[in-house]
Amino acid sequence: MGVVTRKKLFSTIALGAMVVALLLPIVMALPSPATGEEAPVAEGAQKEGEKVEKARDVYYKTEGIVVGAPAPKTTDGPADYPRYNFESRVLLWFANQQHLYYGSFVLAVPIFCMIIEFMGVVTKDKALAKRYDQLAYDFIKISLTAYSLTAILGGILIFTFLTLYPTFFSYLSSIFRPVMHIYALMFVAESGTLYIYYYGWDKMKEGFLKWIHLSMSVILNVIGTLLMFLANSWIGFMMSPAGVDEQGRYLGNIWHVIHTALWNPLNLHRILGNMAFGGGVVAAYAAYKFLAAKTDEERAHYDWMGYIAMALGVAFLIPLPFAGYWLMREVYAYRQQMGITLMGGLLAWLFIIQATMIGILFLSTNYYLWQAMGRMRGAEKYQRYIKYLVFLLACGFMVFITPHTMVMTPAELKAMGGQQHPVLGNYGVMSAKNGGINVIITTTVLSFVWYMRGNKVSTVSWARFGNIFMGVFFACAYINIIFLAIYGYYIPANVRVGLSVPQVATTLSCLFFMFTLNSMMMKGAKQMGPIEWGKISARSQYALIMLATAFTWMMGLMGYIRSSVRLFWHVNEIMRDNSPWAYTHTVGFAANVISANVLFFWISILFVFWLGSLTAKKAPVESKVGVPGAIPQPAGSH
Amino acid sequence: MKALMSLGALVGVVGLLLLAGMIFDVIPSNTIRLVEGYMPMQMLFEVGCYVLGFTGLSYMLNAMGMGIPRFWQGIGFWIFFLLYIKYRVYPPIPFSVRAMYGTVGLVAVLMWVSANEEDWKKFKQPILNVLDAQTGFNKVLRYVYLIALPILTWGFSYNVMMPKSEEPIELRTVHPAPPASTKVHGKTYVLQTSLNPYRVNTEGKYDQEYSNSLIVEQGMGRLMKPNANPWDEKAEGYLKYVREGGEIFFQNCHFCHGDNLNGRGLHAFAFNPIPANFTDPGTIAQLQETFIFWRVAKGGMGLPNEGFPWASVMPPWEQHLTADEMWKVILFEYWHTGYYPRTWD
Repeated sequence: MGVVTRKKLFSTIALGAMVVALLLPIVMALPSPATGEEAPVAEGAQKEGEKVEKARDVYYKTEGIVVGAPAPKTTDGPADYPRYNFESRVLLWFANQQHLYYGSFVLAVPIFCMIIEFMGVVTKDKALAKRYDQLAYDFIKISLTAYSLTAILGGILIFTFLTLYPTFFSYLSSIFRPVMHIYALMFVAESGTLYIYYYGWDKMKEGFLKWIHLSMSVILNVIGTLLMFLANSWIGFMMSPAGVDEQGRYLGNIWHVIHTALWNPLNLHRILGNMAFGGGVVAAYAAYKFLAAKTDEERAHYDWMGYIAMALGVAFLIPLPFAGYWLMREVYAYRQQMGITLMGGLLAWLFIIQATMIGILFLSTNYYLWQAMGRMRGAEKYQRYIKYLVFLLACGFMVFITPHTMVMTPAELKAMGGQQHPVLGNYGVMSAKNGGINVIITTTVLSFVWYMRGNKVSTVSWARFGNIFMGVFFACAYINIIFLAIYGYYIPANVRVGLSVPQVATTLSCLFFMFTLNSMMMKGAKQMGPIEWGKISARSQYALIMLATAFTWMMGLMGYIRSSVRLFWHVNEIMRDNSPWAYTHTVGFAANVISANVLFFWISILFVFWLGSLTAKKAPVESKVGVPGAIPQPAGSH
Repeated sequence: MKALMSLGALVGVVGLLLLAGMIFDVIPSNTIRLVEGYMPMQMLFEVGCYVLGFTGLSYMLNAMGMGIPRFWQGIGFWIFFLLYIKYRVYPPIPFSVRAMYGTVGLVAVLMWVSANEEDWKKFKQPILNVLDAQTGFNKVLRYVYLIALPILTWGFSYNVMMPKSEEPIELRTVHPAPPASTKVHGKTYVLQTSLNPYRVNTEGKYDQEYSNSLIVEQGMGRLMKPNANPWDEKAEGYLKYVREGGEIFFQNCHFCHGDNLNGRGLHAFAFNPIPANFTDPGTIAQLQETFIFWRVAKGGMGLPNEGFPWASVMPPWEQHLTADEMWKVILFEYWHTGYYPRTWD
């Protein structure tokens, strides 16, 4: 057996082992009747002489056999709430947030690796393919150190739960008992797959083996996503419990417990959020390396890396507000009070801060793209129009952040003549805000289109018509978005909620149709000059760092909002929080803790980056043959 | 192009003169009123016109060899914007919102002047000139900044730290989350699912679509639709109950909420804040009927903790009206304002 064949055989076996590792927990999760036995719980319940008690599911309204104990009624004391001389909730908050940051990062980065590695495999340009491969490797290298830290933080989180909230944690574990070990096994499968994927990189770099390697990344990501779905089911259960009766007694159907009212919207929102966050962190890493770079080659590489990470992050950022909108819609549908507390009541001001963060994300993205146009010859023609894009973005941003209930002194309130400002107060409602954010996203799409054609002149015969069509399309999109935002005031609320669909459709049409049309127009286009990677302003890199920081801040903020909407419940309407900390923090205190979390994450991730840089450096990808000293040109990357 | 830019320049100059008139109170800022109600596009449109006007003005001045340096363009536009939101928009915007808008304006200006390397160089040149202090004037200016900046920082810090005697700002929750259910006159109403029993068609069946089709028309006039006059003696079902609700409203509510339901009743200005303006799209139009029922029944005293600082003097109307009367008043309020109650279907 030749060396190559042996390698193929081993790698195929490794891939098979990963599939088995993935399937094992799923097989274990299958209900026992599949093997011809009765479920142990039902068996126990049906023992002769024992009374079978039935109860109604709080959410699904189905009847089930009671198999669990009621949710404990806790009291403030060392039995239910042992504590250090510090607020237990803040400790748990910190442990949870840090675990989530790292968890999101290590779940997102392998997805990037998969995409970039795939791009490398299918790219015909060998130099470019190598660069993609190197980039994917750089990404996974960063995530590997972060992975250990994620596991450590997960352990700290569990210990914090066990130490400070033992009664609550034991109740939650009793509900999720059927899947607790599956979660742990999935973690083992994830670790094994990740290490084989990383350490097998050089051994499986060509031909059939490369495809096997790529398949491993798919399995790695499937496992990671399932892990996240399972973790999401816990928070979904705490917010919108199902599968239990009014007393919190488990009714034997684990799928009901997992598949709560908010599980799916949370899953989607978190996938997109993780990806955008991961992109932001990698872009910040690249920005940091760019700013610290000593040579033109390094600058070119990290400029390109930053661009790719930013583009991937933003690709997931664009649909994120829509996923958030769906989540909020489901929250309102689940409990009106919860929705009002979030967006109209107690937590509404945090939503204004969130809107500000979203605005900053898009503004940073646009700014980066305008800066990036500076490294292309020919892009100057768009520069004079940038002020109009700034105007559109600023208008959309102002509408988006205008609070419905304004902070003011009683004197200002009197001068204004009422609680709502008669002119600007109208920006505070959803209809206007939908218009605002869609204008911002459409403008971002326009900036991307300009960037994509920055150094190119279309040579297709219908170029003039194409340009006019694109201009008209964008103009119509803006008109439609603004028209629908105004029209939203004239129709019933339930129809208005549905009105977001054509607005989103308009924005996404711009994204897909204009990108496609632009690509068609730019096929075989005349290049005014190459993209001079590395020759970008330092300001652009600060924009990337800003993007990543805003992501981190927003994740912390939204996590806090989502968690605190339960108010004084551990499990909404099922298990009351009777600790001394069952109150909602002031906006200022929450903002300080979130900021401290952000700061700690960035300090620790810098440490991770530094650790990553200690590993043996791979040989830098050589510049194009025949052009000594030239900066590599992955011009087709966009 | 030149003609277009000239027109733009003219718009810019006229706009600046108008704003100056408003700042010095020669022209009251409500002379040209910003449209109240609905999405106020007029303000954004106006600012857009100014932007185009300034572009034209800049173009013309450049053509005449009197171009304004980019640094002053940026600073000038930001100051213009601050003045616009302070003096043009009426009634006055609270400081917190002006601060937010001002920050967005500053960020926008910085994004504009640093969008490309050439502009950024032009923008920062005057700053570098002062720092380098190659001329006598710049040297003096540098000393002025050296002295003025710490004084300004000190003044700002002093102002922030100094104890104030004025009333503190309020972060009022106008629409606190309602309870899951509320008990009125011995009957429990689940807020998520309860319905207004008087929103019925002529056959006496609950019919939201039917009642929605009979509300007054949206717009400034709020005109009644043909054949939908509640005061017609033959009016049946929904319209009849609207009339009854109207009678109750004018006997009990209009003293505060006003005969146009805009919160400007006879007693309104004795309170701060004045009573809720139902014609504002941010009040009843955003809420379920059951939410209004709960608020009417329990009044300001029944606001939950979340409703801090409980700035409402509305009496708990369950002590004065029957549940049926309250449902009818709510029916009338939606009919009169032309809004639809929020539903979740």
